Amino acid sequence: MHLLRSLRQLNGLQGVRQAIRQVSSAPTKPAALQYERDPQPLFTDAETQRLLQSMTQLNLDKVYRKRTVPDNSSETKFMSNEQLDNEFQNLVVRAQQILQMPPIVQIKKDVERVIAKDTALKDFANSKFVFTDITFGRRQSERKVIVRDMDGTLAYATLDTTKRMNQLYFPLEGRQSYTPRMFALEELLAKCLAEHKYEFILDRLLVQYEPHEPEFHNISARVFEHLNESKEFDLLRSTRHFGPMAFFYAWHRCIDDLLYDMIRRDYLHNAVELIALSYKLHNIPVEYQATLTELGKLHATPAESALAELRSVFRRHDNKQNIEQEIHTAIGKTEHDFAADEISLKFIEQYIASEHALKKVQLELAVQTLKEVNREKLMLFQGLKKAHGVQAS
Amino acid sequence: MSQTLIRRLFNQACSRNIFILNQSLLSSHEPILPGYIGLRNTSFFNKLPAEDIWRGVTAVSNAGKKRGRGKGSGKKVAKDLNKGQSIGFGKCGRIWPGLNSPLIRGNELINQQKLNENLDRENGILKLRDSMGSFKLMKLNPIDRGWSGSKMPGRSIGPPDPVGDEEFVSFDTRVLENKIVFIMKGNMGRKRRYSVLSVTGNGNGLAGFATAKAPEVRTALRKSKNRAGQKLINISLCENRTIFHDFRTDFGKTKIFCFQKPDGYGLVCHRAIQTICKVIGIKDLYAKIEGSTNIQNIAKAFFIGLMTQRSYQYIANETNSNIVQLQKTRNRFIDVKGMPFPNSTLTQNTQEIDYMHFTLGNQIVLQRKGTVPFYVYSKGHDLHQFKKERFRNQVNVRLHKLVNAYD
Repeated sequence: MHLLRSLRQLNGLQGVRQAIRQVSSAPTKPAALQYERDPQPLFTDAETQRLLQSMTQLNLDKVYRKRTVPDNSSETKFMSNEQLDNEFQNLVVRAQQILQMPPIVQIKKDVERVIAKDTALKDFANSKFVFTDITFGRRQSERKVIVRDMDGTLAYATLDTTKRMNQLYFPLEGRQSYTPRMFALEELLAKCLAEHKYEFILDRLLVQYEPHEPEFHNISARVFEHLNESKEFDLLRSTRHFGPMAFFYAWHRCIDDLLYDMIRRDYLHNAVELIALSYKLHNIPVEYQATLTELGKLHATPAESALAELRSVFRRHDNKQNIEQEIHTAIGKTEHDFAADEISLKFIEQYIASEHALKKVQLELAVQTLKEVNREKLMLFQGLKKAHGVQAS
Repeated sequence: MSQTLIRRLFNQACSRNIFILNQSLLSSHEPILPGYIGLRNTSFFNKLPAEDIWRGVTAVSNAGKKRGRGKGSGKKVAKDLNKGQSIGFGKCGRIWPGLNSPLIRGNELINQQKLNENLDRENGILKLRDSMGSFKLMKLNPIDRGWSGSKMPGRSIGPPDPVGDEEFVSFDTRVLENKIVFIMKGNMGRKRRYSVLSVTGNGNGLAGFATAKAPEVRTALRKSKNRAGQKLINISLCENRTIFHDFRTDFGKTKIFCFQKPDGYGLVCHRAIQTICKVIGIKDLYAKIEGSTNIQNIAKAFFIGLMTQRSYQYIANETNSNIVQLQKTRNRFIDVKGMPFPNSTLTQNTQEIDYMHFTLGNQIVLQRKGTVPFYVYSKGHDLHQFKKERFRNQVNVRLHKLVNAYD
């Protein structure tokens, strides 16, 4: 019995040693691109936030896609039109909350703040003493953690210790006290990147790390770099990670691949916003406010588009669908869209002609292709209107 | 009956022996001297041929056959173990003059001689026995077997036979009931027939069921299958996997409550309903039967319930409300299932109509609250819970360390 108890204690010690090793490990390969100065004032700027939210888009099928949940039943109800409209508005508000972007802040440094240095308490004990504020209802970032060192120094704890103590007393769902394997082992992270599981990596990164931690910056930068190589930008569209990704590319002057993807998918409004963001971040003296204002009048915000899409169920049931709606459904664009495309293409060509574009030939070809497609669509649009006798406005 | 037959034969043999003895005494006029008197015993073993004796072992009498005894009796065949064996030829070869060889060869008289041993004789006999037909029970795949053993209910009997050039593509027929029914006739007495109820369907919302009777099982199955193919009913499936709403249906003393279930739930219901659902194409359903579980009533009630389902559009028009489904797998996204016609004026309902009340029609099933043990509200249990609270996460931590024990 005594031997078994000793063996159990030894196993416990091994566990402790493993835990210590796991906490300190980090991915060995650092990211090539990092933020030199503080990006937070530019990220939390109102105009930047508006641009990023518009770029993210709000596709309800993507935001509310089917997930594996313990209870997969459904609830059927009767509703009047007013109740249904209220529920639609709540859906859009909830979608906006789901798409809330994680902040991009500077990496926080450890500042040693000594409260007292009592040399009389030197070697009083064989271990440190940690004092944690466990007041109910206080925010995690406001809790004080203080450490009494073995040499008698009383100081505020490091960021790592503070995080571990908060996780110990007030654990967050899904966060581990050690580094998860997919972040600790390089081959696992590389495998996730190779399989294009970008949203999964970024979601877990948000749960595990705070935005001001170096691991958060490092791994998210690696994900964005891999995305720029694989060009699978559509995987992050309508998620909360598209805005930080676009900000990352604009900050490091490599928006050309994302811009090419937007032009190819006919998201010209987003392309203009991306170029405007790049101009804004680097203080380039190009006037983009007028263009954005004009496009803002012609385009609806993502929330308004989503709400209109939901409300179309009322109009879809109406048998008196007019001819303009049918033409719009057939072409996929309206007159406002064509006018907006003209303005957007002018702005994009101006950007391609400048010295800021890095891949001029590709972007030029994409713009030419889109122009031809738009010209054909416009001719078809005008032909249909003339055939159906709609007044040309 | 066998014992009676044996006893009668034995008594008969004994009587015959006594008669012979008496006759010999009477016929002679000399005084009786002790001597040897030859007797020949007799019983049914030396009176009946081998075929008759073996039939008693492998067959069933006509009376028993009429009662349905002796399942598989026609398939058993007796093995003749005497094949390949003759008197005079054995394992050790030997010449027996007069038995397996002539007495005189030319002018010489043949004597007994010993020849070489016949080593392959035993193997030859065994091979000959194995080459006879052997009765072997067919191994039934568990997937193909029915509800119980090798009985027909629940088993598949293939699609209905083609009618002209039209074939029943992707159809499957399953037997629901197979029973023997007797009718009394003045001139024939009890006449037996097999009654089969089967259901056929294409797994895509087209199905039919029928009952047929015939003197033989095979004929009844075929008639039932083909008649079911002529009674097809078109049934709408919700999302190609379930019913549109909860409903209650009945036929006779059988009452069935059916509930719509989410994707992946499966078929939790009576086995007859499960078989019908597989044939129709329903994959997620919960059904509860109250009252009699007569198979024919179950089939009729279930089909009536499926036919009288109401679509979302119909319910929306009837109640003048929008039908909305909140899906938990999509973070409580709202899916509009039905809307009333636009000319009707939607008014705010003064009383909230419950969807379950509308579909089940005032026959709501009571969801009984689970009973708790007697000690839950006691002071001792409160104290126990208070003491146990500090250990509430230890199981999870231990499991977590087991799962994450890696280097």
